[in-house]
Amino acid sequence: MTSLGAPATSFSRRTTPPALAPERPLTWPKRTAVTLENGLEVVLAESRAFPKISAQLYFRSGNAIVAHSAPGLAEMTATVVRTGTTSRPSRQIEEDLRRMGAGLGSSSGADSSVISVSGLAEFSSPILELIADLARNASFPEGEFERERRQRFEEVKIERTTPAFLANERLRQVLFGEHPYAVIAPSEEQVAAFRREQLVEFYRKHYVPAGSLLLVVGDFSIEAMLEQIKRVFGGWAAPHSRPPASPAPPRPSGRHVHLVHLPGTVQTQVLVGNLAITRRDHDWYRLTLANAIYGGAFHSRLVLNIREQKGYTYSPGSSVNALRQHGYFTVRAAVRNDVVAATLTEIFYEMDRMRALRVAPDELDSARQYLAGVFSLGVATQNGLLGQLSTVYLDELPGDYLETYRERIRALTADDLIAAARRHFDSANAQIIVVGDRAQIRDQAALFGPVSEYDSRGNVIA
Amino acid sequence: MSLAPRKLHIAVEHTTLANGLRLVASPDRSAPFVTVGVYYQIGFRLEPLGRSGFAHLFEHMMFQGSENAAKMEHIRLVNSSGGLLNGTTNYDITNYFESVPSNALERVLWLEADRMRALKVDEENLRNQRDVVKEEVRVNVLNQPYGGFPWLDLPPIAFRNWPNAHNFYGDFADLDAATLADVQQFFRTYYAPNNAVLLMLGDLEPAEAFGFARRYFEDIPAQPLPPRADVTEPPQTEERHGEVTEKLGPLPAIAIGYTMPERETADWYAAAIVDRVLHGGRAGRVYRKLVLEEQIAVDVDGNADLLDTNGPTQMVTRIFHKPEFTSEGTVAVFDEVIEELQHRGIAQDELEDVKVKFRSDYYSMLEGGMGSYMPRFGLMHYLACFTLFDGDPNRINTILDHFLSVTPERIQSVAKTYLVRDNRAVLKRRPLGLGGVQ
Repeated sequence: MTSLGAPATSFSRRTTPPALAPERPLTWPKRTAVTLENGLEVVLAESRAFPKISAQLYFRSGNAIVAHSAPGLAEMTATVVRTGTTSRPSRQIEEDLRRMGAGLGSSSGADSSVISVSGLAEFSSPILELIADLARNASFPEGEFERERRQRFEEVKIERTTPAFLANERLRQVLFGEHPYAVIAPSEEQVAAFRREQLVEFYRKHYVPAGSLLLVVGDFSIEAMLEQIKRVFGGWAAPHSRPPASPAPPRPSGRHVHLVHLPGTVQTQVLVGNLAITRRDHDWYRLTLANAIYGGAFHSRLVLNIREQKGYTYSPGSSVNALRQHGYFTVRAAVRNDVVAATLTEIFYEMDRMRALRVAPDELDSARQYLAGVFSLGVATQNGLLGQLSTVYLDELPGDYLETYRERIRALTADDLIAAARRHFDSANAQIIVVGDRAQIRDQAALFGPVSEYDSRGNVIA
Repeated sequence: MSLAPRKLHIAVEHTTLANGLRLVASPDRSAPFVTVGVYYQIGFRLEPLGRSGFAHLFEHMMFQGSENAAKMEHIRLVNSSGGLLNGTTNYDITNYFESVPSNALERVLWLEADRMRALKVDEENLRNQRDVVKEEVRVNVLNQPYGGFPWLDLPPIAFRNWPNAHNFYGDFADLDAATLADVQQFFRTYYAPNNAVLLMLGDLEPAEAFGFARRYFEDIPAQPLPPRADVTEPPQTEERHGEVTEKLGPLPAIAIGYTMPERETADWYAAAIVDRVLHGGRAGRVYRKLVLEEQIAVDVDGNADLLDTNGPTQMVTRIFHKPEFTSEGTVAVFDEVIEELQHRGIAQDELEDVKVKFRSDYYSMLEGGMGSYMPRFGLMHYLACFTLFDGDPNRINTILDHFLSVTPERIQSVAKTYLVRDNRAVLKRRPLGLGGVQ
């Protein structure tokens, strides 16, 4: 008799990693997308591992639309929306939420405003009713408005002491100029000037069903949930006009350094960026993969270089940032003050390497697998799923975006990466932001271009 | 109108290898991913006396190379399998974890076993990570408004025993003093299979996962474990105070910490509910009083890290108040909230609402946790703590009932016993422009 199976004792310790097993199929939950008669687009997906639901109601107007008249007004409006309706005072809203095991957020980005709630599935009906109440009947109580405005005023002061905020603010100014995306937050004076009537007007004009998007995922059956939604949101009617696009910002020409002076800081926030593309551009997949290799993953060139080899920084990285009308590419690192020039040298070296040299097959394959896997992690949690669905539906991407993403990423080649890097890693015209102590960093930064200096309030200083 | 609540049941299987490594599997085949964690029972509370920050520095070294996976190879293999990874250092545990497509389960287990068996690092790696950690401290603490408030500021004021009271991120002089010999000694002492638990969650068959674990981990030798450091605190008999200068932010801030009951006692369960009565968002009593009603504070929050600590720990309230109010006046209004709970207790309906939210938050933590970027992070985290601290991962399915059966009487008695001045520390973070000291 012979035995086919080797006894366990014959196992010798392996010194190379096991190969991957065959990939298991990934199935994104089926979406049901319905537009109600009032124009509200409803998208539902089941996610039943935990007895919860998560819902987001998006309005397609945000801070960009008021950037030239009252910066931050959309955010202020969203903040006050949760503080009262015609039938519920602030305290009742908060107690109702707790009674449903729910948490609520209301906020605005550049392009949209959102009310989001996550709570226990057994309370799905009252949760939807509360969202509808906030969307339709917010009453903007004077006292709550004054309280929230003061809170925002203090937050704005704290933002001006936060290096990463100051860097982002300056970069958006530099890249977007006259475009509304240039402004990411109001000043103290602008917050002080908000009036309740402005919030009410923004709410009336933009918190409307037509063109808006309700996403709900969770532990429910689609049919029953759709019935509830029709009941709760069906009778809501209001006029709507879609926000206009603004003229494209001109692309800055030549590298320029923008130094934000924070006296006495023990570290410098470096941020480098250039205009790029939106998710609707045919280059989006190529740029995303190039970014993963450059600085968008732990195992990326920038992290290997300035963290793991040189120890300049803790959390360096690069990002592709897609807003609705435009996108931009950024590279960031908080570094010790004496290596600002060295860091910028490596940032541009790695950008130029991506532009000049083909990525080797191993590195290409690693990055493709990384993006394909991490993108799909979103399927496993309600929040992850909501995040992916909001990307698809807010950016009006193709209906099979989630299902085809992995294949599209896996089909990319080294030539695609060179093309993307040459077009979107614009090292010759990238804008350089450094936030730190002028005396310690100015000379280093000046090696990379003419320098403009600002204080933390954005004023130009000599 | 509401539906009947669905009771959640988490599948849990567990066993122990011959070398003492505990294994926990929780199958859930709803998505083709697995989350794997290795938790070692060593945290910054237990790091060597006088070596502040060493446990965290060491955590970085665990990514610097092992016997068969050179520097960056571990990271490359996880990323190129389509996954994410990280590690964190906590009071009583240090964890390493990955979320990957489920076809990479065996590969990830091989990687974790390789670094549990033999760390392979050199002077250059240590120099490099010492620099990285210093930048981590600068970006998170020294160059950040309210950096380290209050998780680094409060323990030295609240506690007297060094393990609980030192700088957990590390003084730079202590980081500089760390040697490669220290690293290897720390590894030998604490990174033993019998001081750890391996968690495997998600799209897997427990029998197969246990088989992989046995294949790669079982011949890692057990080590004699040192006696656990004495983390007990001497009895506190006075209110403790401290002040730290805020160099960047404009608002005065206050942290108030009360030392909590011992783990797994009836008072401990009740204290977790008391924390939510006081700090449960905008409906919580402290936010309602200080931010919404009195409008003294701009922001207030608080929490008690009870489930994932195994030693003296505090419920901490953080208050950012308007500069026109004094710190003393602010604390006096906070005290009114505490006194009301002590004197008048809690109504049954308020308690029931708090419990509903508690249940919901527990589910959210299990599903995601840590910002949801890794599926089942919280499930992994709690399973590890229940295994290492309580010896029973099945508590994941039973512990909620203990919290949900806390009575109003117990709430009031815990408030009277623990939320007292002789059991608390008050830290003020005073901005430079408002009298803080340079």
